[in-house]
Amino acid sequence: MSALLRSLRDGRGFDVALAALALAYLLVFSAFPLIYNIAMSFQEVDMFSLGDLVRPFVGLANYRTLFATPEFWSIMSNTAIFVILCIVFQLAIGFGLALFFQQDFIGASYLRGLFLAAWIIPALVAGAIWKWIFAGDFGVLNYMLMSTGIIDEKIFWLSTPAISLYSVIIANIWLGIPFNMILLSVGLAGIPKDMYEAAALDGAGPWGRFWHMTLPMMRSTIGAVTCLGVIFTLQQFDLFASLTQGGPANSSNVAQYWSWQLSFQNYDIATGSAVSVLMLGFVIVVAFFYVRSTRQEYQA
Amino acid sequence: MKRYVLLVVALCFLAIYLFPLYWMYLTAFKPSSETFTYPPTFWPADPQFNFLQVFVDKKMDVYLWNSLVVACGTTVIAALIGTGCAYALARVRNVWMDVVLFLILMMQVLPPSLMATPIFVLFNQIGLIATPRFAVILAQTAKVLPLYIVLCRTSFMQIPKELEEAARVDGASRITAFFRIIVPLARNGILVTSVLIFLQSFGEYVYSRTLISQEDLQTATVGLMNFMGPNTTDWNGIMTYAVIYVTPIVLVFMLLQRKIVSGLTAGALK
Repeated sequence: MSALLRSLRDGRGFDVALAALALAYLLVFSAFPLIYNIAMSFQEVDMFSLGDLVRPFVGLANYRTLFATPEFWSIMSNTAIFVILCIVFQLAIGFGLALFFQQDFIGASYLRGLFLAAWIIPALVAGAIWKWIFAGDFGVLNYMLMSTGIIDEKIFWLSTPAISLYSVIIANIWLGIPFNMILLSVGLAGIPKDMYEAAALDGAGPWGRFWHMTLPMMRSTIGAVTCLGVIFTLQQFDLFASLTQGGPANSSNVAQYWSWQLSFQNYDIATGSAVSVLMLGFVIVVAFFYVRSTRQEYQA
Repeated sequence: MKRYVLLVVALCFLAIYLFPLYWMYLTAFKPSSETFTYPPTFWPADPQFNFLQVFVDKKMDVYLWNSLVVACGTTVIAALIGTGCAYALARVRNVWMDVVLFLILMMQVLPPSLMATPIFVLFNQIGLIATPRFAVILAQTAKVLPLYIVLCRTSFMQIPKELEEAARVDGASRITAFFRIIVPLARNGILVTSVLIFLQSFGEYVYSRTLISQEDLQTATVGLMNFMGPNTTDWNGIMTYAVIYVTPIVLVFMLLQRKIVSGLTAGALK
């Protein structure tokens, strides 16, 4: 016993105890709910059996109900569109800005940091601001587009089923740009300057240098940022809550918002947890690739 | 010359990008009649200061206090539990620690809106729903703890091992060395990470909305959602609310900008 105490106070046990404390917390409050969620998705859960410890086992019935819901495939394809478009534009704009701020001028790194002001504000507040910008009658976006002649009549960004999803995508791209830019800047800063000088001496133009040097050197960074992008866009909930609430008629609904709606607005907790299990499984696979890509970079 | 051109272009980019924030501040200062003029004005003709009125009418003191409770509780628990773990992960390198790090990184990615369902049912069963703000703190801590550990770990890795070994030779126990040598040296990293966690938790929405049912315990995000409602017209008031809520966050960020950015970049890719 005293040997254990001594180890805890003064030896290996100290490190183990410190690591175990945090790990235990995460196992209780993250890993356990995760497993509990999988169990629930095979059970009949409603408002009456909510407090019960043992609930009737229903096998795959919840998943069958889920796949049979008419909106399932449209919501899943919305989710895919949301993730893909957000990542493509966040990455492209973020990369462009990162390249621009890589140049040598006064205040470059300070101004670059200011972009993160948008990232630090609560996403729900960002959603409120965008809802006001998107407003059909008095929104400033419609005014700007009309006065520059891009559109002829007011667009109802949030209440037109064909457009609502893309409005949320625009807002989410806006939110995600700074984070992408900052991470890509780190990758750019890691490319040795003399490589560019050597390439310039060999007669490579700016386009050639970007294509044959910057992009290949940035491959692992872009991979990591893309994985993080998938993870973060699938965490986006607040924008949906504040902008469209998935509407009109589920036209802008995505899986992570739908799961919450099913559980807490329709009180259909079993189906909500089935959606949740599917999406969590997907996120964990992406996270696996992300962690692997950062580990490789770390070892290299 | 080229450098000044670049600076001007950079300022233009920043101005375009931050326009939504400008629009929020601008709308807050406009009187409500001017808010709904078309074409809109880009500078308030007759600036109004109805901050106090919105603050009192919308009971923002209650909401902001609850947000503060959630953010403080989360930051304190994350710092208490996470700091030691970050240190152990930075110091010891073996297969077991790699497994721990892997598990922690995996738990960083779980979306709160998907975790809300099992956490609600679980907390309901063990009675934690009776103390809703504490329940939100526990859930939110589980969300931000991995990020805290990963970011703090990088600042512990920058401390030379020799400093601790010197203290050990002088007879300090590991606990003494940890609290007297290591933590003070990593103070900056710990502080910046805590501020980041605090700011994130101050804007928490999913868990507050899910776990808190009493109106007077709800956070400022839920208050803003209630204010917005389905058919909003009081944009003037909503933007005033947003300004009151966001301005402290933006100020803290501006003050610590450089440190937050460098801490963030060091942690996320390593």
